[in-house]
Amino acid sequence: MSLRSNAAVLLGKELRTEFRSRELLTTTVVFILVIIVLFSFTFDPTSVQSRRFAASLLWLAFLFAASLMLQPCFLREQNNDTLSALRLSVTDPFSIFVAKLVANTLFLLLTELLMLPVFSILFNVPVFPVIGQLVLVLFLGSLGVSIAGTALSAISAQARMRELLLPLLLLPLLAPVLVASTQVTVGLLDTTPFMEWKGIGFLVIFDAVFLTALWLFGEYLLEE
Amino acid sequence: MKNLDSVFAAYLFAWGIFFVYYLSVARRASALRDDLERLKNSLNRGK
Amino acid sequence: MMKHTLGGAAVVLLLLAAAYAAFFIAPTDIKQGLVYRILFLHVSSAWTGLTAFFICFVANLMYVWRRTPRWDWLGISAAEVGLAFTTVVLVTGPIWAHPVWGIWWTWDARLTSTFVLWLLYVSYLLLRTLVEEPDRRALFSALFGIFAFIDVPLVFGSIRWWRTQHPQPIVMGEPGSGLDPTMWSVLRFSWLAMLGLMTLLLLARYRLEAMRGDLEILRREGEAA
Repeated sequence: MSLRSNAAVLLGKELRTEFRSRELLTTTVVFILVIIVLFSFTFDPTSVQSRRFAASLLWLAFLFAASLMLQPCFLREQNNDTLSALRLSVTDPFSIFVAKLVANTLFLLLTELLMLPVFSILFNVPVFPVIGQLVLVLFLGSLGVSIAGTALSAISAQARMRELLLPLLLLPLLAPVLVASTQVTVGLLDTTPFMEWKGIGFLVIFDAVFLTALWLFGEYLLEE
Repeated sequence: MKNLDSVFAAYLFAWGIFFVYYLSVARRASALRDDLERLKNSLNRGK
Repeated sequence: MMKHTLGGAAVVLLLLAAAYAAFFIAPTDIKQGLVYRILFLHVSSAWTGLTAFFICFVANLMYVWRRTPRWDWLGISAAEVGLAFTTVVLVTGPIWAHPVWGIWWTWDARLTSTFVLWLLYVSYLLLRTLVEEPDRRALFSALFGIFAFIDVPLVFGSIRWWRTQHPQPIVMGEPGSGLDPTMWSVLRFSWLAMLGLMTLLLLARYRLEAMRGDLEILRREGEAA
C-alpha cells in the first residue's frame, strides 16, 4: 500500500513539474522531427522499400530522443539537491523509481503518439488500421526504455561527461528492445499487416527482467 | 593448403592481443611497484 | 615469484598443445577445408570471455552485498580480461568469414551479439573512468555490470530471432550439429587452455588493482601524517 501511495504522490509531482513548463515534451518532439527529416535524406523515402526503413528509423529516432530526454531525470534532483529530501520522504526507495519510470514512459508514449500521424503522412504509411497493436508495441518498448533509462540516469547524473555517458550506457543495453520493437513495427506497417507476437514476448520479458532488477538494486543507485 | 594464411593470421592476431594485454598489465604493475617503493621510503624517512 | 613463472609456463605449454591439436589432431572438414580450424580458437575464446564476464557478474553482486574493495578489484579485472577474449572473437570471426564467404562481416547472429556484448563492457570500463570517487565508482560500475550481464541472454536471444527473419551465412556453421567427436575433444581442450590463460591474466590484473589499492591507503597515510 505504502509503495503505491508514495509512488502516486511522487508521480503527481513529476507530471506537474513537466506540465508546468512542457519544455521536455516540446524539445523531444522537435528533436524527433529533426531526426526523421535528416534520416530520410539518406535513402529514397518514396520507394516501396521505404516502409521497412520507416519502422527502423522511427524506433531509432525514439531511442535517441529518449537517451536525451532521460538526462534531466535525476540530474534535476542533483542540481537542486532534492534527492536526499526525496529519499527521506519515502519508506521504500523503489517508489521513487516507479514514479519516475511511469512518468518517463508516459512522456515517451505521448511524444510517440504525437509523432505517429506526422510519420504516417511523411512516409505514406497507414497507421490507423493497426493503431491498437502499434500502441501496444510503443507502450512496451517505451516501458523498457524508461526502466533502463531511469536506472542509468541515476548513475550518469553523478558522473562526468554525463551527456555522452547516458546514451553510451543505455543504447547497447537497449539493443533487445530495439530489435524486438522494430520487428513488430515492420510487421504492422507491412502492406499486409501482421502481428509478431514473439517480439511482444521479448519486450515483455525485457521489461519484467529489468523491472525486477531495478526493484532489487534500485536503493543502491540512490545511496549517498 | 588452402587458406593456411587465414588460420595463421587468426592465431597470430589472437596471441598478439593476449600478449599485448599481458604486457600492458605487467608494465603498469612495475610502474606501480616503483611508486609504492618510493612512497614507502618517503614515509619511513618522514617517521 | 616462482609460482607465477611456473604457472605462466604451464599455460604457455597448454596453449601450444591446444594449437598443435587444432592443426594436426583434429580431422579435416569436408566443406571448409583447412580454415575451419579457426573454430578452436574462436569458440574457445567466446566461451572463456563469457566465463570471465560471469566472474565479473558474481564479483559485482558480492561487492554490492559486502562492499569490500577486493570484489571491485576482481570485477574490473574480470571485465578487462573478458573484453580481451571478446576482442579475439570479433577479430577471428571476420578472418574466418572472409575466405569462406568472401565478405568480412556477415551480421551472423552470434558475432553480432558478441559485438553488442563487447560494447556493453567497453561502456563498463568507460563508466569507471568517469566516476571519480572510489566507493561510488565501485558501486556504480558493479550495478551497471549487473544490468549488463542480465542483458546478455536477452541480447543473444533477440538478435538470433532477428537473424532468423533474414537468413544469411552463419560463420560457425552450427558446431552443435557438425562436429565429430575428435573435434569436440580438441575444442574442449582448447577451452581448457584458454581458461588457463584467463586465470593467468586475471591474477596479473587483480594484483595490479590490489597494488593500486595499497598505494591509495599509503598515500592517505602520508597525507594524514
